[in-house]
Amino acid sequence: MAEGDREPLARAGTLREALRALLPPTKEELTLQLGERVERSVVRLLREAVELFCGGRGGECLQASEAILDYSWEKLNTGPWRDVHRDWRRVYAFGCLLKAVCLCEEPGDAGAVAAALRVCDMGLLMGAAILGDILTKVAAVLQAHLPSGKRPAPGPAQEQPHEKKARHDRVWIPDVRSERTVPRLRCPSLQHFRKHFLVPGRPVILEGVADQWPCMKKWSLEYIQDVAGCRTVPVEVGSRYTDEEWSQTLMTVNEFISKYIRDEPRDVGYLAQHQLFDQIPELKRDISIPDYCCLGDGDEEEITINAWFGPQGTVSPLHQDPQQNFLVQVTGRKYIRLYSPQESEALYPHDTHLLHNTSQVDVENPDLEKFPKFAEAPFLSCILSPGEILFIPVKYWHYVRALDLSFSVSFWWS
Amino acid sequence: MAEERRGSWFGFGFCGFGQALGSGRGRQVHSPEPLQTPGEGADVCRVSASWSYTAFVTRGGRLELSGSAGCAAGGCRDAWASEALLVVLRAGPGRGAGTELQAWAPGSALSGEPLWAHTVGPEAEGEDAPGGEPQAGALPLLPGGRAYVSPRPPFYSPLAPELRARRLELGAEHALLLDEAGQVFSWGQGRHGQLGHGTLEAELEPRPLEALQGVPMAEVAAGGWHSVCVSETGDIYIWGWNDSGQLALPSRSLAEVGKAAAGEASGLKEDGCDVRTAEGESGGLAPFIAIQPFPALLDLPPGTDAVKASCGSRHTAVVTRTGELYTWGWGKYGQLGHKDTSSLDRPRRVEYFVDKRLQSFLFSTDPSNQKVIWPGRKKTIYLFERMNL
Repeated sequence: MAEGDREPLARAGTLREALRALLPPTKEELTLQLGERVERSVVRLLREAVELFCGGRGGECLQASEAILDYSWEKLNTGPWRDVHRDWRRVYAFGCLLKAVCLCEEPGDAGAVAAALRVCDMGLLMGAAILGDILTKVAAVLQAHLPSGKRPAPGPAQEQPHEKKARHDRVWIPDVRSERTVPRLRCPSLQHFRKHFLVPGRPVILEGVADQWPCMKKWSLEYIQDVAGCRTVPVEVGSRYTDEEWSQTLMTVNEFISKYIRDEPRDVGYLAQHQLFDQIPELKRDISIPDYCCLGDGDEEEITINAWFGPQGTVSPLHQDPQQNFLVQVTGRKYIRLYSPQESEALYPHDTHLLHNTSQVDVENPDLEKFPKFAEAPFLSCILSPGEILFIPVKYWHYVRALDLSFSVSFWWS
Repeated sequence: MAEERRGSWFGFGFCGFGQALGSGRGRQVHSPEPLQTPGEGADVCRVSASWSYTAFVTRGGRLELSGSAGCAAGGCRDAWASEALLVVLRAGPGRGAGTELQAWAPGSALSGEPLWAHTVGPEAEGEDAPGGEPQAGALPLLPGGRAYVSPRPPFYSPLAPELRARRLELGAEHALLLDEAGQVFSWGQGRHGQLGHGTLEAELEPRPLEALQGVPMAEVAAGGWHSVCVSETGDIYIWGWNDSGQLALPSRSLAEVGKAAAGEASGLKEDGCDVRTAEGESGGLAPFIAIQPFPALLDLPPGTDAVKASCGSRHTAVVTRTGELYTWGWGKYGQLGHKDTSSLDRPRRVEYFVDKRLQSFLFSTDPSNQKVIWPGRKKTIYLFERMNL
């Protein structure tokens, strides 16, 4: 399809049509059912914005949408995230929807479509699903209409990073033979897994379960950029989240790859703990949910699937999570160390509320004067390679360091 | 009674609900405009601005609302506007009947029954207190300083009497209290450093700011996620979230947008790191600061003494002894009054008032006549000016 050859106006026209087709046909259906928590003034502004939109007054609708976004954004930043009322996240998503569509009403310049896509992504990241998950559909349409295609123009250095000379000749690969290793099993039965590992809470590496998933063959840097390059994602910058200089920021996948993977990165950047597969359903088709998850209590919808994508050297400090975890390795290898919850005292968790699930000890460089008990704490370790799944039982302490450019997918279930 | 000084009110910022700002046209006003106070010859002594409406109280006790809510009512001594709740202090019928605290839905036009009401006993009145002590500060602190109101449950919260509260301000998720001795207390959520105790932990009960002990404060103000206080000698201390430059500290997001007022900030774009926590000293080559969990001393131009501070959700305003107004922080809706929509991470004087030779005037000795800056919770600023003849 010679996308670049079409008239800009014609392209803009089909984009507008495609977007309109996604929206509810009537003004009355372009509303949210909101509870008491959302103040009357906000409800009034939402209605007004819809009136302006349906009345073809895009510029004014944009202004109203901005006010809706700014007000609801403040609600999203008030109190702990888990206490933010879902209605505020829906209001925010609605503001994003109106803004994104209004941005595309003008005969398109490339900037407008990219800006609209970024707005959609903000709605997906911070908002909650509305109108039949409309933001995901709008994002897909916008992505298809980006004038210069999904990928940036090829640069001079086009090799895959693993073909490049190792930038860090001094990557330290631990000699796991001298450590107690996580046991490995090839395709255990559900019953065997449950009896010997799930119930007693013991880690195990499952082989032969995920190694045929499409992602194992398909996921290269090129492919990721093709499918998701222009999408906005959260990135953690800094060696580890316990550091003072650590921060979170937003950027497109293309920017992340070029800044933190390709071009001699100065800082460590990690696309970590992000529900990428809700944002970009196309990628979800390349993975499956491990069958063993059905041994849990929850529904499939309650399983949280996170992407972990970053360069060699990313570190997740020793911490524990409140759910069972299947960590699937897709690209690259990770050194992982595991400590039983029974050893918690020897791991010196932080006493602050924010970091109470995180150990104070730097696992591969521990301060044994400050943390003497750590030296004697028993642990299991492994190098997790592509195609393998590590079962991390609930509350099991784990430390992860990427030995190569790495992509992992985690499944949190109960 | 002290000579009554009169002046005019000016406003600027967001007015997307038709709040009475000057011409009232459009959704935003970027430069100060005289306020269209409702009612002919109304002598407004108290303004409380919420996001979508504003409450005016006149000396005669008349309450007027402008914006998404509109009404007029009498017998009001004080009002406090929030989106969820309008709180008014109404004189009880007749002498000695005390005052009633009423909470209304903003759209109710004060007709029917309030959502709840609470009698503030006559013994809490400060006016007749022996020794002529000034009445305790305005809402959300109740007269007598024994309790305060909040837009979220619990709506009415008592304060320990030993706190001797003089002023109380509420942020989006924290509270600041100033006591009779000039000591500042804070409590609530702390994840943006807004409590000033040096951590990001929450505090359930009022906790004194140790970093400020020994420096008596005259004023406190709370923004959405930041806190300000002004010392008796005119110094400003500020802490909390700096995402929009509201602490007048270098802000990464402002530098990235290229709108930082300071040249050094943009020079730091390449090397500056996003410091999550930092010590108070600013000056010299400072890195970007997202959160300031300890009070930092703010530098206004030399020789300027602050007398009053007030905050919007993400911006800050300060009035000086010589009657100048400085603003900084989030400016997207023109709420800084600099005729544009830039955000600033440095204080800048609002030139409108200098050009018009208007002096912003503050009474700190007689609280019932106190003219203050009241930035709206989210967007707008109202300011009282005295014509400088």
